[in-house]
Amino acid sequence: MKTSLSRRFVLGAIAALALIAGLNRPASAAESATDFVRHLGTQLVGIVNSDLSSSEKKQKVLPLLQSDVDVDAIGRFCLGRYWRMATPEQQATYLKLFHQILVNAITDKLGDYRGVSFTIGSTTPSGEDQAVDAILHRPQQADANMQWIVSTAGGSPKVVDVIGEGASLRLTQRQDYASYIQRTGGKVDTLLSALQRQLDKHRAAEGD
Amino acid sequence: MGSVTDNQQIASLPGGLAQRSVPFHRRYRAAGRFGSLVLGALTLAGCASMVAPKPKDPDALAEYEEANDRFEPLNRKMYNLSVWADKYSLRPVAKAYVWAVPRPVRSSLGNMIRTMNEPVVFFNDVGAGKPRRAGDSFARWCINMVAGVGGFVDVAKYVGYPHHDNDGGLTLATWGIASGPYLFLPMMGPSSIRDGVGYGIDQGLSPWNYVPRGYGLITFNWAYNIMGTINTRADHLDDLDQVQRDALDPYATIRSAYQQQRKALADSIKNDHRATVPDWYN
Repeated sequence: MKTSLSRRFVLGAIAALALIAGLNRPASAAESATDFVRHLGTQLVGIVNSDLSSSEKKQKVLPLLQSDVDVDAIGRFCLGRYWRMATPEQQATYLKLFHQILVNAITDKLGDYRGVSFTIGSTTPSGEDQAVDAILHRPQQADANMQWIVSTAGGSPKVVDVIGEGASLRLTQRQDYASYIQRTGGKVDTLLSALQRQLDKHRAAEGD
Repeated sequence: MGSVTDNQQIASLPGGLAQRSVPFHRRYRAAGRFGSLVLGALTLAGCASMVAPKPKDPDALAEYEEANDRFEPLNRKMYNLSVWADKYSLRPVAKAYVWAVPRPVRSSLGNMIRTMNEPVVFFNDVGAGKPRRAGDSFARWCINMVAGVGGFVDVAKYVGYPHHDNDGGLTLATWGIASGPYLFLPMMGPSSIRDGVGYGIDQGLSPWNYVPRGYGLITFNWAYNIMGTINTRADHLDDLDQVQRDALDPYATIRSAYQQQRKALADSIKNDHRATVPDWYN
């Protein structure tokens, strides 16, 4: 009688603890994801709206991207099934190219977003990640709805995707790459040389 | 060639009529059958080149299912045609429009075009069974037509009735109708079987397609449609240029983004369970 009571007590206590922990964890994960996005967003908007020249802005944004965006994870996702087919050398080359392309894509946009501000909405779990709603207010343009997908899989929170008006950037990119590889003979190398060509073109355009 | 057309006519006769005409055309009957066979085979061959073959490899198959693009060869032809035509017609016009017309004028024209589309949004909100959204679009129509001087100023936005999208394709989606295969319609852009049908429904719902003759209303309707097309194209100048420049396969990028956005829009309508009373009442 006594043992069953104490067992019941112990089991109950464990269940209660698990429940509290379970209730607690998503809330704190959501909170930390919200804070993380608010912090990152404030820094980005601060740089975008500052009076610095575009190359100075670029220099300021780079460390943020390195620390707060999981570029490798995004790159792996974008290569999709071809990641497994690629050799380790191809994977390394691809990630190097992908880094530069993503940085170019983001820093190219900095000039377009002068005068923006944002508001953070609710945070909902999305699979293992947290989706943070945000509304981007642009001067003389309609507000844009976006979601920041934040993953804490690597310890510290990092951005792994941005969803703009319902379209996931990494998924769209993956379908772009997949279609390109499939239509050019199913070789990862053709993608790598196409990415290299894109980078060369970008460098040439910047040099002008 | 002429005989094929003749056979086509015979083959396309309704069953009953063909039966009756048998004694008359006995000697054509075999030819007719042969002709319809040839025609059928031709049609099939034609279709086959328009339909993307289903891959065998499971990973490739998953990719094929994700793209949802059965008619890819045909769609790509339509896409290339549209991009080519756009390059020499609509894009330069839209660029000239942006160059010539200052932004405040463009944005108030945009407001007007959006307000004039509000009845379509309203009917679709009703069709989707979303009274709060229907109320919003109805209020937007009334406020913007009166206080917004015929829709040129989006007053409704400032008094708590922001614009929301809706169209026939989305209404069908809220009824649980799947999108069906992706379609790229020439000059109209990305769509799907369902959204194409929805577009037809919207044409029926738009009051401007019922304007009577006189009072310059027909002229207004034409001007409205042409301005709407140019204004919408001008809004997307930068986006589309960027896709053409940065994407390795712009067709696939547009296909992916379009289908994701439509799904997100349909989901946001389905999940809109706000109370019917307006925000200021609470």
